[in-house]
Amino acid sequence: MTTDVTFEYDESVIGVEVPIGAEEVTAEKIATFCSALGESNPIYTDPAAALAGGYTGLVAPPAILQTLRLDPAPSAKVKFGNTAFHSGMRFEVVEPVLAGDTISVSAQVKEVYAKTGRTGTMVFAVTKFTYRNQHGRTVANTESSTVHRQVER
Amino acid sequence: MTASDALGGQRYFDDVESGDEFTDSWSPTGEQVVAFLTVSNRTAPGPNRFTDDEEARKIGMTKAIVPGQMSLCRATDFVTDWMGPSGRLRSIDVNFRRPAVHDEPLKVVGLITDTLDDDGATTVKLDVYFENERGERPLQGVAVVELPRR
Repeated sequence: MTTDVTFEYDESVIGVEVPIGAEEVTAEKIATFCSALGESNPIYTDPAAALAGGYTGLVAPPAILQTLRLDPAPSAKVKFGNTAFHSGMRFEVVEPVLAGDTISVSAQVKEVYAKTGRTGTMVFAVTKFTYRNQHGRTVANTESSTVHRQVER
Repeated sequence: MTASDALGGQRYFDDVESGDEFTDSWSPTGEQVVAFLTVSNRTAPGPNRFTDDEEARKIGMTKAIVPGQMSLCRATDFVTDWMGPSGRLRSIDVNFRRPAVHDEPLKVVGLITDTLDDDGATTVKLDVYFENERGERPLQGVAVVELPRR
């Protein structure tokens, strides 16, 4: 349920989209990612398999977008509680990313809200990330939630 | 390589139904966490809650924790490995219900909850979660995948 709890944040950043960087997704980065996560789908590891599967080149695993080297996203600077944790993510894949694509990322604080549950009151800040390729087409969207709360130590 | 070779690990819509379950295991090591932080340029000078047990204890954790984005990546790869080369991940939506910690043995589970043939667009909805040895679920989510017909 929602609550009337008091907390402070920077309202001026809500809905303001800011570019936070761009990176080429190289075949080397794809190989490193697949190795680190144990990815074995052949369209991500073998260019011949990707071609046979109807793609024009080696495909990047969708989750590789979570490892792009970016500037910090805008922050609502929530003042509540004594700790903050990453509480969830929604990742929508729009179209494949291929080796050699350059992905530009923009971010905006979508919303800040409070909820009270059985463990107390929490304040959530939701940041939306939009990933576009070199042709200007959106390839993916992510919404990432951070929860702020008071924890006894 | 022929298409049939490439599609050897393909999952087909015709072959799956609600209630089907598939599993894997994952026990993220400190070295893997550091590798993930490095590849994603999230390394920070000095120890932190993702790399150091003492730092993690300062925020109430039992030991160093796994970054949420790394857990999302593992869950996503689990699904994309399962669906095969001609599958297409549409979305994955996860909640981090409690931190996963270094070296914790986790069972990774996919459970099909719905299949939908909408005018030829064949999609599968599945629950995805990590479960530790105490039956707790550090990650719980839902994925939607397009699968081809045979």
